[in-house]
Amino acid sequence: MASTVIGTGITVEGEITTDEDVVVAGTLRGKLSAKEGVTIEHGATVEADIVGGSLVVAGALTGNVTAAERVDLQSGARVIGNVKAARMTIADGAQFKGNVDMDV
Amino acid sequence: MASANLSIIGRTTRVRGRVTGAVDLEVQGFVEGDIAVSGDVTVDANGIVGAGVRGRRLVVRGAVKGDLVGEEAVSLEDGARVVGDVRAPRVAIGPGALVRGFVETGEANGAPTRASRSAQGASRPQTLARPVAPAARSTTAKTAGPQPPPIAASSKTAAKHPGTAEKANGPAAGRPPRRPPPPVVPALKKVKGQIAKRKER
Repeated sequence: MASTVIGTGITVEGEITTDEDVVVAGTLRGKLSAKEGVTIEHGATVEADIVGGSLVVAGALTGNVTAAERVDLQSGARVIGNVKAARMTIADGAQFKGNVDMDV
Repeated sequence: MASANLSIIGRTTRVRGRVTGAVDLEVQGFVEGDIAVSGDVTVDANGIVGAGVRGRRLVVRGAVKGDLVGEEAVSLEDGARVVGDVRAPRVAIGPGALVRGFVETGEANGAPTRASRSAQGASRPQTLARPVAPAARSTTAKTAGPQPPPIAASSKTAAKHPGTAEKANGPAAGRPPRRPPPPVVPALKKVKGQIAKRKER
């Protein structure tokens, strides 16, 4: 259960800082720093740099991602930006353009 | 399902920037920018908003430093701490709610507030917004007609004290009673200084 929800139809322009889970189903422009999981749902539009524990993307994301644990791009995700994470998966059907930097 | 219609700024979340949209919003954390949604806004007991809030119905149990504008209603409940103006057709201030600002109920929340908001841009909101309402009130009062009472009063006093009636009425009617300036308390500083001096000695 996420504690912070940017719902469908909500637009946040600016910076979000949080210690808890974040679900974005709306629009976010700016910056997002979370300590826990970040979920970008299908239909969401995010134009932001993201720092988080783990990231699941099913929507559209433009921006660089840094995740302490993992990044999962689900089918239907569209991601443009560089990803730095310990682990990363790209599901069949996800679009991705950018550099990947994993702990090798 | 809940996430579809309701957005939540969680307890440990800080938002620096604008929040806009067409759905309901619940603030449990910190928002340091304007909130303008067409749905309902709830500022929780732990919620802090550092700027204006605009929505259909606003419920505040936390802290807001900025103007509250409700298209339908504003409800300030126990624990609410509001520094700013409150405008809505219906405004409820419950027991335990603290407000410092200009509160206006009625339909005058649509275009005028937007205009005044845009006009506020450079200057401070209070200085522009405050003079409007008293002027409006006085005009309505004049047209509504509490004009008869003064005459009756003056005739009464004139009957009792024919000479003093005009004196008594004159200045009061001509000028609105001036309020004394708020008490300034620089005494504390002086006292501190004195104490310091005494200590020096």
